[in-house]
Amino acid sequence: MSADHRQYDELAVGWALHALEPAGEAEFARHMPGCARCAEIVAETTEVMGAMAADLPQAEPSEALGARLREAVAATEQVHRPAPPREAVAPPAVPAVVPAPRRARALPLALAAAAVAAVLGLGIWNIGLRSEQAELSSTVAEQQDVVDALLSPDRVELDPLGADGRPVATVVPRDGGIEVVTHGLSVNDATSTTYVVWGVGDDGAKPLGTFDVERSQTELRTVGSGLTGLDDYPQYAISLEPGREAPSDPTEVVATGQVTS
Amino acid sequence: MGAVTSPARRPDDAAGDADVMRRIRAGDRTAVDDLYARFRRPAFALARRILADDALAEDVLQEVFLSVWRDPAAFDRARGSVASWLLAVVHHKAVDSVRREESQRRRQAQAEDEKALDAPTATRDVEDDAWSRVVAEQVRTAMGVLSAPQREALTLAYYGGYTQREVATLTGTPLGTVKTRMLAGMRRLKQELGGPGGAGALGDVWPAEERQ
Repeated sequence: MSADHRQYDELAVGWALHALEPAGEAEFARHMPGCARCAEIVAETTEVMGAMAADLPQAEPSEALGARLREAVAATEQVHRPAPPREAVAPPAVPAVVPAPRRARALPLALAAAAVAAVLGLGIWNIGLRSEQAELSSTVAEQQDVVDALLSPDRVELDPLGADGRPVATVVPRDGGIEVVTHGLSVNDATSTTYVVWGVGDDGAKPLGTFDVERSQTELRTVGSGLTGLDDYPQYAISLEPGREAPSDPTEVVATGQVTS
Repeated sequence: MGAVTSPARRPDDAAGDADVMRRIRAGDRTAVDDLYARFRRPAFALARRILADDALAEDVLQEVFLSVWRDPAAFDRARGSVASWLLAVVHHKAVDSVRREESQRRRQAQAEDEKALDAPTATRDVEDDAWSRVVAEQVRTAMGVLSAPQREALTLAYYGGYTQREVATLTGTPLGTVKTRMLAGMRRLKQELGGPGGAGALGDVWPAEERQ
């Protein structure tokens, strides 16, 4: 195996351990689809982790939990989807978690495939994360929204300040609001802080909306409403603010991006 | 794969686990009870180890078993045994939960305890059977083969739920070194637990500088 793959070996172990930072998670999600070696490292690490769980003080949950679970199961319908072939029974030579980007295609399609892979790839270990919020169909719809936003010609990618620059967020000005896709911002304490999106123009920075980052995975939300004049901003910024309201001026800008189109 | 010690379970459990998953896929609600009966103890042990809170750990268990009922096909997309997959989902959700629930300050305070703890060996809440003790002993022996820094990095990440960057901060170690330690430690564990063959992607590269 070439030395070039070494960093992905490390990422694969960190991914399985759920120990990557968002940037590393995003990077690995871009790489993993179609990489048999990474799939194998993740699987092996997962088996070792299972063994590590054996060396723990065995403990019994309360009896109430069993009853609670039974009630929840009785009240919950299953998600139905076409069952893929059982990889666990007959491991394919090249296991692919999601379809690999096709390199031969034109760039935009390759980008689209990579973005889809990145978004869907993040879902491998997140089974049921949204189980209380939505059915799978809406989850898929949200993922499509993320892909659309990441590929929008109007998108503005925001780079972190004072760090080597892989974008941590993408904003897309839309009619009456701004879509914000976060893919590398830290989770904030939603009781005492808020992220604020700023439009930066000749007159300084104007707060456009607030949002929280609730988890380290890629997420899309729409902030602001009834906003106008978004075309006038040559630059966008995101700040992390104490309190739950946007101040008149940003306190700690964490990422900025120039409008290029 | 396959040679790695399964989590505290007998080898013949795997076929039964797969059968339970088939019944869940077929829409049999009672099969969830069976899955719960099989895994509630190791799952709870893992979740409470990460969360240090029984109520939160039970919330994680409910979420995990309910998610398996809702979407059993998720297992088809994974590779490996039911046991490892389920415990990986428990681990992932418990880590998400601890990151949501705990303030950074509390985590910093707890970190000192985590660092002092090389391998978890608390008193047992329930009597383990002989098989569980044998498996636990194998894992402990394997952990003992790791270098102290490798063991510390993997312990903080797996049992503590810390990210690689947090581990780097906690241990005063460069991030790149932490990543290398985790990979090398995992390779070593895989080799120890998987027998002398040590084949597989984790085992097939073993640069000299990683030997400790």
